[in-house]
Amino acid sequence: MSRPENQENTGSMETDRTAHRPEVEPVTDPASAALGVETLSRTFGEVVAVDGVSLGVPGGELRAIIGPNGAGKTTLFNCVMGTLPPTAGEVYLNGTAITDDPEERRPHLGMARSFQSNQLFNDQTVLENIRLVVQTTQQGAFSLDLFRTHYDVGRERAVELAEAVSLTDYLAVEAKNLPHGEQRRLGIAMALATDPEVLLLDEPTSGMSPGATTQTAALIEEIRDERGLTVVLIEHDMDVVLSISDRITVLDRGSVIATGPPDAVRENQAVQDAYLGGMREEL
Amino acid sequence: MSGHADEQADDGGSGGRWFTSETVGEPSLFERYRIPLGMLLLVAVLRPAVASDFLLGYNAIASKMLIMMLFVAAFNLLFGYTGLLSFGHAMFLGFGLYIPAILVKNGFWLLPEGGNSTFFIGVALALVAVAVYSYLLGKLIVGMGEIYFALLTLAFAQAIYFLVLRDPEELTGGSNGITRGALPDFVEQTRGEIAIEAFGASVDWYWAVGLVFLLAMLALWQVVRSPFGRSLVAVRENEQLARAMGVDTTRYKIWSVTFSGVFSAIAGVLLMVHNSGAAIENLNVFTSGDTVLMAVLGGVNYFFGPIAGAFTWLFAEDFLTDLEVWEFPISALSVVSIDLSGVVAYWQFFLGALFVVVVLTAPEEGIWGYLRSIPVWIHARVTEGEK
Repeated sequence: MSRPENQENTGSMETDRTAHRPEVEPVTDPASAALGVETLSRTFGEVVAVDGVSLGVPGGELRAIIGPNGAGKTTLFNCVMGTLPPTAGEVYLNGTAITDDPEERRPHLGMARSFQSNQLFNDQTVLENIRLVVQTTQQGAFSLDLFRTHYDVGRERAVELAEAVSLTDYLAVEAKNLPHGEQRRLGIAMALATDPEVLLLDEPTSGMSPGATTQTAALIEEIRDERGLTVVLIEHDMDVVLSISDRITVLDRGSVIATGPPDAVRENQAVQDAYLGGMREEL
Repeated sequence: MSGHADEQADDGGSGGRWFTSETVGEPSLFERYRIPLGMLLLVAVLRPAVASDFLLGYNAIASKMLIMMLFVAAFNLLFGYTGLLSFGHAMFLGFGLYIPAILVKNGFWLLPEGGNSTFFIGVALALVAVAVYSYLLGKLIVGMGEIYFALLTLAFAQAIYFLVLRDPEELTGGSNGITRGALPDFVEQTRGEIAIEAFGASVDWYWAVGLVFLLAMLALWQVVRSPFGRSLVAVRENEQLARAMGVDTTRYKIWSVTFSGVFSAIAGVLLMVHNSGAAIENLNVFTSGDTVLMAVLGGVNYFFGPIAGAFTWLFAEDFLTDLEVWEFPISALSVVSIDLSGVVAYWQFFLGALFVVVVLTAPEEGIWGYLRSIPVWIHARVTEGEK
């Protein structure tokens, strides 16, 4: 039911363009973008969680995906990362269709994610959490490496990554005993440990204090700039979204209703309708 | 749960709380080798301790303890380290029990009955067979989910049990098992004590078991501290995350089943020689069940957990069953003895009660977890007192 709306809005965009009204940009060709999604759908029984989404995120872009609760953002991530198989559509990484690659192959292809809830190896230390991912990145999805010991593999790199997300003081702390914000940063460090070209972050600042949120936003920008990553970000904090993203894609009820630079999206009527005014003040 | 991470890393995934980035995660020499040292110590003192008159008073139990410790440790590679609960682990033991016994008893082609070479080829065959079998079994069932993994291992173990019970081609001896002719020439039996004839010398069976135990446990320890073993822990701790980070969790699980099966079969070979034959009781569902209980009792989170569990189990079984009048060590001076026969006949009840306490209070810590926490607790008390 959101499809007609979408088209209607696209139509109104055309007429409004001259009046500096918000615009929906044409989709970058998914098959030539760093990360592309083409008419991707995912249904759960009767429920259509993701409904024919097409996106193209060019290399080096920091793209935020926003939308009300239940808009299908996390489901879209899960389909892109292979956690869930999409019902229809294709996922492209640097022009190659990877839709059928199993989830555990994708980090080795150059894409990684952090999770919305803190998914960590809880009983392991911060160092070991990162080191395990470094080891997997260096040795591949499976390796019968039986003759070395775990501290021979990937430790220096793990320490470097911990430094990059300011977790050096916590290296020997078990992940479950970390403060919340540090757990989120550990999740980012682990995603970085896969040496990704494309990094997907699912609400990296959720549950953080305003101070920590600002720091994390800065960290994400820094990571993108230093490593030349393409970053796709699901985020609820509008300050973060508006300040760091190059472009924003708005999802509502499983469909893309707007894509564009922050200012354009902020002014978009469809976006404001989707948020039912509740977010309007924030926007 | 504290201390969990470092022991499963087994040698100092965390060496201390405050260190610089140059030394981080680098364990000290003691931390690095405390597990082999502990095992060496265990083998050295186990028999003198339990065979003393004060405790169990006979030798054979010590060898059996080492064998069961190895078996439960092999089981725990799968359960404690990979998070897969096998309810049919006796089947892996059975490969080591029956294949060498059948071959030594019957001979085959150029291999004479009772020959030493027959035995060693039988052992090699058993290990290859169990490796292939457990790999294929793993491939078939690890993807099914935890509950189904437990049920399917039980089902396969029962299938093997009934196959052996049927006595195909009169090879397995059915319900009697293989009671005679299963030992090769180099094993000497005199009045129930076994000795190994090697290079003109006679080696006590306990030390032979001790040597195989040490070698097998060292190999197992290397498996769990290797990068491969760390990946198993990742699979157990958070499979979803492991997969998202690029770990092929299915293949790690299959190989964990394989290693666990092979090490179990090594224990099976020892048990066959220890019992001078293959008994079908060692294949049944109770053996599989006891294995789970021993591991949980000892503490599945620790390398030494299964060792503590198997020891406690076998010790309690023997100590409490045989003991009717316990003489205090001071009995030489004054005759102090207490008649406990009425109470200790219920040894399984007491063991069961201990099990319930362990599971209710610290399901993954077990006895070893408690033992480990004692020095920590004392240290905390002492430092508290100093303040």
